[in-house]
Amino acid sequence: MTAQALAQVLVSGLLIGLVYALIAAGLSLIFGLMDVVNFAHGEFLMIAMYAAFGLWLLTSLDPLLMIPVVAIFLFSIGVGTYRTLIVRAMKAKTNAGMVQIFSTFGLAIALRGIVQAVWSPEYRQITNSWLTDVTLNVGGIFLPAAQLAAGGVCLAGFIGLYFLTQKTDFGRALEATREDSEAVSLIGVDRHKIFAMGWGIGAAIVGVAGVMLSTFYYIHPGVGATFALTAYVTVALGGFGSLGGALVAGIIIGLVEALTALLIEPSLKYLGIFALYLLVVLFRPRGLFGYF
Amino acid sequence: MKTAWMKGFAASLMGAAMIMGTAQAQVKEVLVGSIYPLSGANAQLGVDCKIAMELAAEIINGEFPFPLPLAKGKGLTGLGGAALKLSFADHQADPQKGRAEAERMITQEKVVGIIGTYHSSVAATVSQVAERYQIPFVSADNSSPSLHVRGLKWFFRPSAHDEMFSGAMFEFFKDIKAQKNIDVPGVALFWEDTLFGTDSAKVQRTLASERGIKVMADIKYRANSPSLTAEVQQLKNSGADIIMPSSYTTDAILLTKTMAELGLKPKAIVAQAAGFSEQAFLDAAGERAVGVISRGSFALDLADKRPWIKEVNDMYKKRSGKDFSDSTARQFMGVFVMADAINRAGSTDPMKIQKALQETNISGEDTIMPWAAIKFDDKGQNNDATPVLMQWLDGKWKTVWPFRLATAEVVWPMPQK
Repeated sequence: MTAQALAQVLVSGLLIGLVYALIAAGLSLIFGLMDVVNFAHGEFLMIAMYAAFGLWLLTSLDPLLMIPVVAIFLFSIGVGTYRTLIVRAMKAKTNAGMVQIFSTFGLAIALRGIVQAVWSPEYRQITNSWLTDVTLNVGGIFLPAAQLAAGGVCLAGFIGLYFLTQKTDFGRALEATREDSEAVSLIGVDRHKIFAMGWGIGAAIVGVAGVMLSTFYYIHPGVGATFALTAYVTVALGGFGSLGGALVAGIIIGLVEALTALLIEPSLKYLGIFALYLLVVLFRPRGLFGYF
Repeated sequence: MKTAWMKGFAASLMGAAMIMGTAQAQVKEVLVGSIYPLSGANAQLGVDCKIAMELAAEIINGEFPFPLPLAKGKGLTGLGGAALKLSFADHQADPQKGRAEAERMITQEKVVGIIGTYHSSVAATVSQVAERYQIPFVSADNSSPSLHVRGLKWFFRPSAHDEMFSGAMFEFFKDIKAQKNIDVPGVALFWEDTLFGTDSAKVQRTLASERGIKVMADIKYRANSPSLTAEVQQLKNSGADIIMPSSYTTDAILLTKTMAELGLKPKAIVAQAAGFSEQAFLDAAGERAVGVISRGSFALDLADKRPWIKEVNDMYKKRSGKDFSDSTARQFMGVFVMADAINRAGSTDPMKIQKALQETNISGEDTIMPWAAIKFDDKGQNNDATPVLMQWLDGKWKTVWPFRLATAEVVWPMPQK
């Protein structure tokens, strides 16, 4: 194996890792805010991909231009999910945690079924994005434009999230609600509003990731499940609720996956990821950057 | 009062039993189970399959001028014209779900036979359930060679398995060397990690070594991966320019895409059908699919020789919007094989159907396939299911091997976009 081949695999691992990171960021945000794991997160991603695809069919505009529209659409889905389903699930007198898990799990299966009924299980693809089939060759290393762009947008997404959570009043309210939602409601902050915003933003982020993914990946009702498993381990590895952790963990997972596949055996790449996660649990159960 | 009520109840029970008794004597409907992936990553396959199998039932139950078994008379003539009814279940590509659905269909729906399952891994469990309950299982489109060597008495596979298909590929390599002076010194095997890919690669590895063809890369990958970059990089590292993939649809799409992204341009892709023969792959891969060679059980160009196949294909196309594929053609034929046996058995007794299946003898001319015949050996395998190789050219699958059946000259190396 040449150094070039190794570099290629590392770069590819890094690029897909950034996508994993952005998908996981929304999940981590919601979890950090209110200790709820959204098992429909992969399906949010899938809906974002279909939204990008549908808009592209309707308007023939490039999917990259659809990012704001899809993000707003997913934001409303996130808020809607919180306001209708999660609020009620949290009211369960006993086992509220279980009710939350099963309600989002039920939502996932329902969304998959609805999308399959509406769009059929056919594989879809956006065929004429600006990025389709454009590959840069840098010193023998191939960089598909779509994945480069996805990596760039993911990084930009993280920078945006950083400012939103660290530098704005809303971010401070988010942080305060996360620390102690009871106390926050005592000083007159509507915590349901903050929670709903958290769900909205979490879904909007995965919406951005979905649009970018739709430029280079096939679209299918089951596509969320392919990425969801990686998203959950990314959140756990990075530390529940930590956005920076999600970024670092996403990149680590992208690299470990690629290296396991290249150096050991492709069919064992999940083993590489989960072995790493278990190792981290042994020494640092809260994850690399976890608060708890 | 109470006794009168009980008498009435008993009388109605007896009445019901009598009605059921007569229904048993004159079967109006014969129920056959069909287990396919109707949700999950391969759901489209199940949807297409359902349309193909329902069309087969429609042809059996109605009157059509095709040479297909039972097309001409109405229903199952051997059972007083009883209608063939299909019941569908979803296995989601999961062998355990397949097992549970097979049990449910046999014990609750009382199906007289089961057809399935696309995924070889699911056929492995479903066929065992069928064996235990002594219900015939027609493996319409599974290709793992390990399925028919387990000594099952209720397993029947009308189509070829991967030893036959892979044998065809290596015969093809020999023939192009002899007749066109094209040399195949080495190949790369690229296979998914379930039963289908594992068995397929095992056979290809053996055949390659028997014939002195070097296996330059032998890559087992995880099915439905989000990314295949490292895998394709390994292919590239190996320097192999003839790639032999055994992949389902999602991976086939991702593989060709990633190969293009990483600048890997092989001389030939010789695929173990599955994903590569699906319309979804051809649509998604577009230009990149041109020149792909796949083993096949079916190519529409057979209609040049048997024009009625086009009529059947048109009926399917009207319902599904697609031509018959390698998979749907085999699923379609699976229904005829089962119906033909039930008809000859003249009964819904599974023992009699099993015996009739063992005695199956359908001429290849009466099928939509390039097969010589449908006859089962003592393992339930049809050894007359002639495999062909097809190449995707000008938006059509063209038979390119065996040369005597070919409708087009093989294009080698495949066109580079």
